[in-house]
Amino acid sequence: MAASLTQLLNTARDSLSAQTYGLGVTGQNLANVNTPGYVRREALLETRALGTQTTGSVVANGIRRVTDEFLERRQFESTGLNSAASEHDSRLESLEALFNDVSGTGLGNSLDNLYNSFTQLSANPADPTTRRNVLAAADAFAERSRDTATVIAQSRTDLLKDAQSTTTQINESARAIARLNSQILAAEAQGGDAADLKDQRKQVMLGLASLVDVRTIASGSGIVVQASGTTLVDGVEARQLSIDLDSDGKMRVFAARNDEATPTEVTKFLTGGKLAGIKEARDVDLFETAKKLDEFVFDVATSINQQHQLGFGTDGVDGRDLFDVNTVDAARTVRVSVDVFNRPEAIAASGSATTLPGGSDNAVALSRLSTAPVVFGNSRTAAQSYGDLVGDVGQRKSAAEKMLESREAIAAQLDAMNEAMSGVSLDEEFVNLTKFQRAYEASARVLTTADQLLQELIQRV
Amino acid sequence: MRVTDSMRYLDVRRNLTRIQRENAKAAETASTGLRVTKPSDDPIASAELARLRASLSTASTQRQVAQTAQSDADLAESTLAQATELLGRARELAMQGSNDSLSADDRSALANETRSIRTQLLGLANARGAKGYLFSGSLTSTAAFDSNGLFQGDDVAQSVDVGGSTPTEVSASGAMAFTAAGGRDLFADLDSLANALGADNRAGAAAALDNLDQNQRQITNERSRIGLIANKLESSGNLLSQLDLDLNKRQTGVGAADPFEAYSKMTSLGQSLERAITVSRQMLDGNNAWQR
Repeated sequence: MAASLTQLLNTARDSLSAQTYGLGVTGQNLANVNTPGYVRREALLETRALGTQTTGSVVANGIRRVTDEFLERRQFESTGLNSAASEHDSRLESLEALFNDVSGTGLGNSLDNLYNSFTQLSANPADPTTRRNVLAAADAFAERSRDTATVIAQSRTDLLKDAQSTTTQINESARAIARLNSQILAAEAQGGDAADLKDQRKQVMLGLASLVDVRTIASGSGIVVQASGTTLVDGVEARQLSIDLDSDGKMRVFAARNDEATPTEVTKFLTGGKLAGIKEARDVDLFETAKKLDEFVFDVATSINQQHQLGFGTDGVDGRDLFDVNTVDAARTVRVSVDVFNRPEAIAASGSATTLPGGSDNAVALSRLSTAPVVFGNSRTAAQSYGDLVGDVGQRKSAAEKMLESREAIAAQLDAMNEAMSGVSLDEEFVNLTKFQRAYEASARVLTTADQLLQELIQRV
Repeated sequence: MRVTDSMRYLDVRRNLTRIQRENAKAAETASTGLRVTKPSDDPIASAELARLRASLSTASTQRQVAQTAQSDADLAESTLAQATELLGRARELAMQGSNDSLSADDRSALANETRSIRTQLLGLANARGAKGYLFSGSLTSTAAFDSNGLFQGDDVAQSVDVGGSTPTEVSASGAMAFTAAGGRDLFADLDSLANALGADNRAGAAAALDNLDQNQRQITNERSRIGLIANKLESSGNLLSQLDLDLNKRQTGVGAADPFEAYSKMTSLGQSLERAITVSRQMLDGNNAWQR
C-alpha cells in the first residue's frame, strides 16, 4: 500500500516535471514566434514503465523539430530560382534604360539627326553652318554610341565583381555549414538534440540557396550540400567555388576538389541563385546586346564612309572617311575621322570636283542611306535594325519580368507551405499552454491527495 | 493546412505591396497618356515606335528642305519674270530703233537706255538665293556673269532629297536662260543692239529684234521650267505634311493609352486598395485566442 502511495508520489512528481517541460517548450515557441527560420518544437511526452509494474508515469523524451525535409528541399530550390530571376531582372533594367529614346537623346535620335544633317546639306552644300552641323551630328552619334557601349561594358565589369563577392559569400556559407555539421554531430553524440543548431544550419542553407542552386542529401556525417552540380559541403568538409573568365570574356565557375590539384569547371550546371542570375544577365543578355550594337554601329559607319569617300569636299579632295571605326569593339571606339574633324570644308557633299561648292549629289546619296538596307549583311535599314535592337532589349526584359513573376509566386507558395508546417501559431500555443497548465494543476492535486493519504496513514500507525 | 500568424502578416504585406504597385502603374499610364513608357512594356510596339520616330524625323527635315528649295525656285521664277519684262522693253527699243524716221541723236538715246537695261538684266542674272547665286549652276559662290557679260557658272543641276524614289532637281539654269547654251547669248545680243543704235545703224537694230525674240523665248522656257519645279516642291511639301500627320496618328495608335480605360482602371484599383487596407486592418487586429 505504502509502496503504491509512494509510487503515486513519484508519478505526480514525474508528471509535474514533464508538464513543466511542456510549458517550457510552449514558452520557447511563443518567444520565437517572430524569429526568422525558427522551427516550432513539440514536446515528446511518453509513458514511462517502472520495471514490471502495471502503473507508471510520464517522461519528457526531448523535443521534435516539426519540419519536412522534402518541403525544405523544395524551398531551397524555389528560393534559388527566385533569386536568380530577381537578379537577372534587376540587371536588365539599366540595359533597358539605354535604349529608351522617349526623351529624344538616345542613340536612335542621334542617328536620325545625322541623316537629317545630310538632307539639309543637300539643300545648301556651300553653307559653312550646315557643314559644321554635319560634323556636330556625326560627333554626337559617335559619342552616344561610345557612351552606350561603355555603359554595357562597365555593367559587365561590375557584374563580374558582384559574382566574385557572391562566390566569397558562398564559400563562407559552405564553411559555416561544415562547422555546424560537426557541432550537430558532437551534440547528438552527447545525447542532446541540437535543435537550435539545426535551425541555424537551415538559416545558413536558405542564405546559400539564394546565392547558388543547392541540393541537400542527408548522410551519416551531417548533410551533404551540392551546389552547381558539385559537392560543396561533404559532412564536415567544405570545398570552394571560384570564378574566372574564358577567352570571350564570359564567366566560368570552378569547384575545387580535394584530391585533384586543378579545379573542375562546373559552369553549365549552374542553374539557380544570384550567381546564375548574374551569369545570365552578363554573359547572355549584355554580351549579345553588345555584339548586336557593335555590328549595328560598324555597318552604319562603314556604309556612310563608303559613300563619303566617293564625294569631294569644297577643297576638291575626295576619298575621305567620315568616321574612324574598328571591326572589334566598333561601338566603343567609333569617332569622327581625323580627316574631317573640325574641317567643315572636308565634308564631301559634291559628287565631282568640278561642281564646287554647290554640288549636292553626294549629300543626297548620303541622305538616302537612311532608307538603304546596309545593316546586318545588307538586309535591314538603319532605322529598322535600331528598332530591332530596341525590341530585342524590351523582349529580354519583358521575359525576365514574367519569369520573375512566376518564380516569385512559386517561392511564395513554398514559403507558405514551410511556414504552415513549421511556423508558430499563437492560437495553437495558447491551447498548449492551457493544456499543460491544467495537467500541471491536476498532477499537483494528485500530489496533494497522495500527501494527505500518507499523512493519514502515518497518523494511524 | 495550418495557418500561422506570420503567414497572415506575410499575406497582408504581399497583397498590399502588389495592389500598390498596380495602382502606381495605372496612375503613371493615366497621367502620361502613354501605354508604352519603356521597351519591356511592349517590345513589338517599342520597335515600331523607334522606326516611326526615325520616319517622323526624316519627314520633318525633308519638309524644311522642300520649303527652302521652293523659296529659291520661286525667287528664280520671279527674277526671270522681271527679266522677261525688261527684255520686252528692249524689244520696243529695237523696234523704235529700226524705224527710218529716227535721227542719230534719237538712236543714241535709245542706245543709252539699252545699256541701262543690260545693266539691270546683269543684276537680275546675278541674283542670290538661300544657297548662293541662283543662276550659276553648281558654282554657287561665284557670280553668274562678270561685268563683261561672260558666263562664269556651269550647267550642272542641283538636287535635294525630299523623299520619294528619286532626288528632286531644284536649280535654275542661268546657262539655258541667258547664254548660247540655251540658244543665244543675251548679253552679247544686247551689246550688239546698243552698238548698232549708238552707231545709228538702222539695219543692225532690225536684226537685233529677231535675236531678242529668241532671247525672250529662252527666258520664258526656263521660267516655266523653274515654275514647274516650284510647284513640284510645293506638292512634295504638302505630301510630307500629310505624311507627318499620318505618322503621328500611327504613333499615337501604337504607343498611347486609351484615356478612358486608363482613368477607369486607376479608379477601380484605387478602390481595390482601399478595400485591401480595410481587410488588412481587420486581419491584423484579428481574432485570436489571446483576446479575452
